[in-house]
Amino acid sequence: MKAAIQLNGVSKVYKEKKAVDDLTLSIAEGTVVALLGPNGAGKTTTVSMILGMHQPTKGTVKLLGGDPRDQRVRDRIGAMLQDVSVIDGLKVGETIDLFRSYYKKPLPLDYLLKVSNLKAEKNKFATALSGGQQRRLGFALALAGDPDVIFLDEPTVGMDVTSRQLFWDTVKAMAGRGKTIVLTTHYLEEADSVADRIVVINNGKLIADGTPSEIKAETTGRVISFVAGQAVTTEALLALPGVTDVEWSGRRVKLYSTDTDRLIVALVENRFDMRDIEIQSGGLEDAFQALVQQAN
Amino acid sequence: MNGTMLKATIAHCKAELLRTARNRRFVIFSVVMPIIFYFLFSNIVGDNEIVGGVNWSAYYLMSMTCYGIIGASFSTFSIRLSRERSQGWIRMLRITPLPAWAYILSKIVSQAVINLFIVVMMFLIGGISKGIDLPVSAWIESGLWIWLGGLSFMTLGTLFGTMRNPDAVQVLSMITYMGLSVVGGLWMPVETMSSTMRKIAELLPTYRLGQGAWNLIAGGSLSWEGIGILAAYVVVLMAASTWIMKKQEAV
Repeated sequence: MKAAIQLNGVSKVYKEKKAVDDLTLSIAEGTVVALLGPNGAGKTTTVSMILGMHQPTKGTVKLLGGDPRDQRVRDRIGAMLQDVSVIDGLKVGETIDLFRSYYKKPLPLDYLLKVSNLKAEKNKFATALSGGQQRRLGFALALAGDPDVIFLDEPTVGMDVTSRQLFWDTVKAMAGRGKTIVLTTHYLEEADSVADRIVVINNGKLIADGTPSEIKAETTGRVISFVAGQAVTTEALLALPGVTDVEWSGRRVKLYSTDTDRLIVALVENRFDMRDIEIQSGGLEDAFQALVQQAN
Repeated sequence: MNGTMLKATIAHCKAELLRTARNRRFVIFSVVMPIIFYFLFSNIVGDNEIVGGVNWSAYYLMSMTCYGIIGASFSTFSIRLSRERSQGWIRMLRITPLPAWAYILSKIVSQAVINLFIVVMMFLIGGISKGIDLPVSAWIESGLWIWLGGLSFMTLGTLFGTMRNPDAVQVLSMITYMGLSVVGGLWMPVETMSSTMRKIAELLPTYRLGQGAWNLIAGGSLSWEGIGILAAYVVVLMAASTWIMKKQEAV
């Protein structure tokens, strides 16, 4: 598989502080990658180096096999950046058309209005749009050149539920057409449902990399919870095979384990006083929290 | 330059023109105000009063044309630039295939079109309503001078546009614009000023732009001193803006 994005030993230092620390990462063409990490982890810095907006202090960045600042490369990428407002004095349709003029093979205006759900707003001034609508206009601009690589930095902030659904449907359709998509988001369930691959960054370092199910399996494993009788103690539970953590809320206890099948058998064999038993796999949210805590 | 970039540059010019035409500030300060001022002050002073060797109605037409053009090239331009920079628009453009030169070129070309419009509009309105009698060559020469010379004020606009706070730019550029226009003799001719004020005026780019036009309609020619001073402003202001932008980018 050809790499759409290749980072080799990339570091970025701002005033003595390492925003990105020796990051090596290769993203294959046609994959949907979610970059996750707490605030200030270096996600946006990483994206802006891949886009050629910032130069790495050390290491090399290749986008579509070339320099991200090369015009031929830029013709094939699109991005929704954070903190970008709309241009004043232009209507929605005019703004999209202006962006379409920059690219060799732009997508049709009607299509862009449709996927950004802005058909009714075509003749409105961009400055008169709501925050969520402006974000959707940003999406239309990112897609204007029919890019092969799409960057979405916190794309759904401010969007309502319907727009968000349409947005992810469009992103999935783009992925289905073989586009490479790099996204950062705070909504982990979004990353979970869209991404083929999740890369977790903390303090500028890569701390986990894999499919969403791999990430979840590697970290939290699964959870058994039940309402425990008075005789049940933390010590007794921790003595069971494979229990990594015990968490109480009232009389309901949560047992974390990498092997819940063995654990449930052990619980029954030891005749623990249990009611309302539930077995769940940990969500990406839990996995993410665990990873970041471990790294810190 | 390939086909796409030519198309992109033209589209960008069109968008800039559209934005300017829809900009209330531009319409007020560069179209309405110069016209009102022109009629007001030419009537108060008297059309046939002789100032600087020509009729006041012709002299003041040049002043107000310069005034309108400086408003568009400096004040309106600086606010737009500051807004584009502070609101992430420039960052967004930098990841598109549009090269920096195409962006700058479209800014200059669209400003040139706007300025040409102001010159033609002012000359037609003033010339016809006041029946100003100047040789065709004087109309053309003074028009060309104001048109091209006025573009030099874009460098002042660029410097103010490097400031990140568009509201501050709005106030500061407006004060500077009015101040330079009054002291530079565009509102009231330097002939009416004290000798000290006149000395100050002669150092200002506003006076130097007006002076070229006043000389040309009086049958004189452009002074090298005037051109030199305007050119010096352009060089210094461009160097200052470049230096500030480099510094901002390095962070």
